[in-house]
Amino acid sequence: MWQQVELALSQSAHRVLVKLASFLPGLVALLLAVIVLTAIGAGLAALLRRTLTAAKFDERLARNASATISDWSPAHSPTALIARFVFWTCVLIGCFIGISAFDSAYPGDAQISTYIIPFLTHSIGAVALLIAGTLIARFLERSVLIGAVNAKLQYARFLSLGIKWLVLVLTAAMVLDHLQIGGAVVELAFGILFGGIVLTLALAVGLGSRDIVSRSLERSASPLDHIPGDPDYKAHTPTETLRHF
Amino acid sequence: MASTQTNVDLSSAPATSAASSLLISLVPLPQEAFEATLSNLALAFPSETVFVATPDATPQHSSGSPLRLISYIQATASATPWVLTAADYLNTYRLAKENHASSCVLLGPEAQSLHPEAIRALAKSALQCDLTLAHYDLGPHEGLVNSAILYPVTRALFSTRPRFPLAIDIGLSIRMAERLATIAQRFTASGQNDAFLWPVSEAASANCSIAEVEIGSRTFLQPAAPDLNALLAQITASLFADVDAKAAFWQRARGTQPPQIITQTAPVAEAPPDIASMLEAFRLAYTNLHEIWSLVLPPNSLLGLKKLSLMQPETFRMPDNLWTRIVYDFILAYRLRTINRGHLLGALTPLYLAWVASHLNLVSNGTAPEKHIQDLAIAFETDKPYLVSRWRWPDRFNP
Repeated sequence: MWQQVELALSQSAHRVLVKLASFLPGLVALLLAVIVLTAIGAGLAALLRRTLTAAKFDERLARNASATISDWSPAHSPTALIARFVFWTCVLIGCFIGISAFDSAYPGDAQISTYIIPFLTHSIGAVALLIAGTLIARFLERSVLIGAVNAKLQYARFLSLGIKWLVLVLTAAMVLDHLQIGGAVVELAFGILFGGIVLTLALAVGLGSRDIVSRSLERSASPLDHIPGDPDYKAHTPTETLRHF
Repeated sequence: MASTQTNVDLSSAPATSAASSLLISLVPLPQEAFEATLSNLALAFPSETVFVATPDATPQHSSGSPLRLISYIQATASATPWVLTAADYLNTYRLAKENHASSCVLLGPEAQSLHPEAIRALAKSALQCDLTLAHYDLGPHEGLVNSAILYPVTRALFSTRPRFPLAIDIGLSIRMAERLATIAQRFTASGQNDAFLWPVSEAASANCSIAEVEIGSRTFLQPAAPDLNALLAQITASLFADVDAKAAFWQRARGTQPPQIITQTAPVAEAPPDIASMLEAFRLAYTNLHEIWSLVLPPNSLLGLKKLSLMQPETFRMPDNLWTRIVYDFILAYRLRTINRGHLLGALTPLYLAWVASHLNLVSNGTAPEKHIQDLAIAFETDKPYLVSRWRWPDRFNP
């Protein structure tokens, strides 16, 4: 019996080692492809950055477009964004080449790339969705917050947070759907959450806007329209004497 | 109408005829205003021949009139007719060149309210200086954006004196007009006909002579839809972009302007404006925008704002050095793109309103408005090394 156990162990160890030996060249090929393409990407990005800086690309773009891509990524100039895009495209191509090389180097019948490449592309798509969603959520949150504060809305913070979470929930649902995780549960949860946030915002804005509507009606009404005895009535102090420009 | 030289001594300049080869460029005016302007021009130049460029339909003038009317076609109606735009500068230079004018005068909207003597003084100065700007007599509650930001920033950074850097009545030598037209063409070529130009910084960086002429009071066209947030963002964005573009010049520019003689005008019998709404806007912003401000402003400024938010309306006073730091830090953040530029300029509005409230409080307590504005300009000049230092080494301090 021990002989059989020994035989089984040695055979399985042999199989694993053989598989590992056939697996290693593919892995090395994958790593090499990624490293080489990353180096090429870094070189291309540096070259592009220098060329665009010399051509004053950022200044030209700022002059020619009122709303530039820098509005979406304020901390980076358009040149930096383009260079970064080229770099990451090269890295991505390196990944694909590496996986393909890994697949062809793998002696087994299983076509790994048939499963891995679609999964990777889905993952990359999901990550891109997540980044874009987060950026848009932050941008909209600040836009709404500043706009609402300048419009003197008391619930500015609440409104901006509502908008932020609407976009984040939408993004999360899209990411999960893209990765085909969760199925119908995600759709249902998303519907409930999204509807809940919209309803909350609608109620909050509706209730909170009473003052604005009152003020608006007060402004549009002529001074003779107010009831003299009305304790809530405040005489409109003229600020028209101020000229900012 | 006294003319003030700002960076050259022209006392020895040859006396020239005020209207030799002079082109006066008008912006679109209503018919009545146009006719009144022509009458004023005829009074200003009774014996000299002057070219008057106008986009309006030109009436028939008698052959004896000294005014030679030239009509030009304005490509599109300006979205900001209350200020001179890139298209105005470009049209003026083109017409001046076609008519071999040696100097030009641009008169802004409501030009009919200008006194003939003022127009003549502008024209005379335009013959002697590259750039002549109008100096207006404004009330204590007028031109507040200019007093708070445009004037002190321009004076401190470019070491120039004109009180109204975005004046709408301007005299230009043909050299200066050409320079401004070159800049304007960059904007108009990309369809931005309504872009603002900053003649003072252009003149300073080109070492051109700058003068200022007392115009007195005039009426100003106000923006049709006075949305303070949008207009303030538009003007400050243009100014900050200009500051960014001319960084190489203003970092070298040294020197402070001599103190101006402030003529104490009689107190204007105007009702003190309501500052409660401005303070309310500031306090609301303090509770909500603190996170955004903390990305732009250093802790000292944030502490100053905290103290401000706790002040009573009667004692509300923003120190000049705090406002100076705020403006400088916003210029830096605009340059570094610390946050989205639209957001940045939107976050400036409540702070500007706080400055206005503080200024109005001071004025209502008896301080001469012009004295406060000159003190503020001096504070900007004094603190310029901070801006230069952080411009060169932005990572030295990261709020």
